[in-house]
Amino acid sequence: MRIDIKNLYKCYGDVEANHAVSLSLEPGRVYGLLGENAAGKSTLMRILAGYSRQDRGEILFDGRSVRLRSPADALSAGVGMLPQDPLDFPALTVWENFMLGGVRRNKREAVRGLRDLAERFRFVLPPEALVNSLTVGERQQLDLLRLLDVRVKVLILDEPTTGISLAQKELLFAVLRELAQEKDRTIIVVTHILPDALANCDEILIMRRGRLVGQLARPFAAEEIVRLMFGENVYLQAEACHKPSPVEEVLLSLENASLVGEKLVLTGLDLSVRSGEIIGLAGLEGNGQELLLKGLAGIARIGSGKMVFCGKELQGRASSEFRRSGIAYLPMAKLEEGLFGDLTVEEHLRLAFPDRIGDTSELFQRRCMQDFQLRAAPSSTAQSLSGGNQQRLLLSLIPLRPRLLLLEHPTRGLDISSSRHVWDHLNKCCGDGASVLFSSAYLDEILARSHRVLVFHGQRLFADAPTSELNMETLAHLMIGRGKAA
Amino acid sequence: MRDVTGQVFRFAATMALACAFTMLVIVCAGAPPFQTLTLIFVGGAGSTVKLAQSLSVWVPLVICSSALLLTFSGGLWNIGVEGQIVLGAIFATGLFRLTEGAGGFHGIALGLAAGMVGGAMWALISASLRVWGRVHEIFSGLGLNFVAVSLCLWLIFGPWKRPGIASMSGTEPIPESLWLSHLEGLPLCPVSVSLSVAVFLAVFTVMKYTRWGLTLRAVGQNPQAAEIMGLSPKRRQVEAMMCAGALAGLAGALQVVGLYHQLLPAISSGYGYTSLLVAMMASFRGFLIPPLCLFFGILNVGSIQLPLRMSLDTSLGGVIQGVLVLSLLLVQGVEASIRKMHSRGTEYDRRAAD
Repeated sequence: MRIDIKNLYKCYGDVEANHAVSLSLEPGRVYGLLGENAAGKSTLMRILAGYSRQDRGEILFDGRSVRLRSPADALSAGVGMLPQDPLDFPALTVWENFMLGGVRRNKREAVRGLRDLAERFRFVLPPEALVNSLTVGERQQLDLLRLLDVRVKVLILDEPTTGISLAQKELLFAVLRELAQEKDRTIIVVTHILPDALANCDEILIMRRGRLVGQLARPFAAEEIVRLMFGENVYLQAEACHKPSPVEEVLLSLENASLVGEKLVLTGLDLSVRSGEIIGLAGLEGNGQELLLKGLAGIARIGSGKMVFCGKELQGRASSEFRRSGIAYLPMAKLEEGLFGDLTVEEHLRLAFPDRIGDTSELFQRRCMQDFQLRAAPSSTAQSLSGGNQQRLLLSLIPLRPRLLLLEHPTRGLDISSSRHVWDHLNKCCGDGASVLFSSAYLDEILARSHRVLVFHGQRLFADAPTSELNMETLAHLMIGRGKAA
Repeated sequence: MRDVTGQVFRFAATMALACAFTMLVIVCAGAPPFQTLTLIFVGGAGSTVKLAQSLSVWVPLVICSSALLLTFSGGLWNIGVEGQIVLGAIFATGLFRLTEGAGGFHGIALGLAAGMVGGAMWALISASLRVWGRVHEIFSGLGLNFVAVSLCLWLIFGPWKRPGIASMSGTEPIPESLWLSHLEGLPLCPVSVSLSVAVFLAVFTVMKYTRWGLTLRAVGQNPQAAEIMGLSPKRRQVEAMMCAGALAGLAGALQVVGLYHQLLPAISSGYGYTSLLVAMMASFRGFLIPPLCLFFGILNVGSIQLPLRMSLDTSLGGVIQGVLVLSLLLVQGVEASIRKMHSRGTEYDRRAAD
């Protein structure tokens, strides 16, 4: 089925998830939709599959304008989506799951239908098995068969390769290619794993900050894709950014450490950070940058090895002790991880600065208003703030004299002058001997602001290079695993 | 201003809904609705004696609801409060048996302290399971409630049975020197009332004005952010559970020294569950606790009149309580979905303001 999307807009609060997205998808092809976290790709696909509705814009299926009110609506129009986590009923058997949502039939017919489809695609799914005994990959296969059973013409897969085995992944893409060719189906794979898209898609669409920024056909140039995904902020090129110079004293060192995250484990980390040093973390999403920051903050577990900070070993200690030692961590998901929705700005200050009880108004003036330009009253609750102001509040809560700052996307959601303000402040901290590790979705911010860049690729620390030896091109190269590894 | 109108509206809607439901139930039970309701309220507050009875129900309700305010604020569903009351009563009785009724002021104070220790320890089990064993406190609390009641029955029928007989009427009464004195001619103990007022004021102050209270609220709001901010959320939750347990234990011990003067199988009278309803209705608005508890106390005492005068079952009081809570939750739910429908507009407003 041919899909045309014309000038589509979608806002969530003050976040523009999709901005003027227009694209055309031809039948018989496999499309890869790429973008960093929060680029708007899932939003676009959820709209296409009827899970949410656009604010403005038009969707046409085979030239006819459609209004999708629900996932069932989309399904009857021929669009089916495989969500990231399988949407099934774990307590029921495979055949029962297969039958639900499909045409009405008895058990024998359902089992036969399931068998036929499974055989065709070389899936092994015992009909009587309970779904909660299957692997994620098998559950995904079952979901896929269920959609094929209702004859979808457009198949959307959201991050289908997380959590499944290599063999399952290969089989999945082989099946997707088959499906695209027969009966002219349109297949869209949403992913942030570049190699998967490069190897398996006919065309690649790239989104950044809610906009469609590129549509590329084979042969793909991986560096170009990375540049499109991460983009450039023009302002940083115009000025030479001031950087404080680090001193020789080692502030933090990791010795053969392993960090245990929810989805991945980083092993054999050796790292030393000097006092006053600013280190940028680059890499495609999910390769370990966040985990490194969480590990250094004491939030993710240090499985083995040593972490020495200011001459003190911190592995195995509570996160409160990390913070007491002067380590501050700024999470990316502001309201979810960093703030307390119903508490006021003033209460946040009282929590973050326990020894300052009584004079929070002075703190508010200096810290929130002056340093970080927070535009809110002390009595406003965190959840009533805009995204940018939530970020400013979170920055205001960083301890007054930090030794180590661990920042996930510190300037996301801020305008140019605010982010310059933030960096002025961070530079001042570094001038006083603190060190900064930060991740960013802007490669030029990383290049302009840091002394050194750690590049993550293939779920490990891939390269460690001084910024003076890097430019956009070489950095993009390292991020897709080419070039010299550390 | 809008907030106040909202509250008034919510209250009025809840009451209207609750009245409608209650009427329906009473009519279904085949009784005249207005007469029945009047009977309940006259039965619970119609005379000084009745009011004193209602107040003696108010005492454990206020203490336990205040205790639950702590755990609710910390994001914990302390269903185990019922068991914590029972353990408080058991520990107090146990101490009196150990000291063989060495009495007076010190004896009573020690008994109350023992009750608090018992409740706190019982709560510590739930808290540890939650924090270190990843067992939700609803399940452990519910389980421990059954264990507590069984333990109480075992003691009454076993080791602590009255010489010669073991019966549902409880253990041997504690010596009179350990009884808290009542007001002349009224079934009401002034010490219990003052203690419960003190507990309520203390909890209210702690939650509103201290750093510990603020931290606890933060932990309840967002444990992840609390972890990042170094607020030790697990420790705070254990502390909140233990404080709540201690207070529930105090309520249990007061039932022994102030009211029944012995350990009974139904020593907690289900007040733990009733205060869960109160805490749910008050939902973080602590100042609502005393009036709500009074209302529930009157309902409790008033419905005793039902079988005598109307040949209705006392459980109608419970039905009214349940209906009231359900109505409130329903009104809140409807309100939330209305707000959600309008939220798009306000989100755009916010954006313009940025």
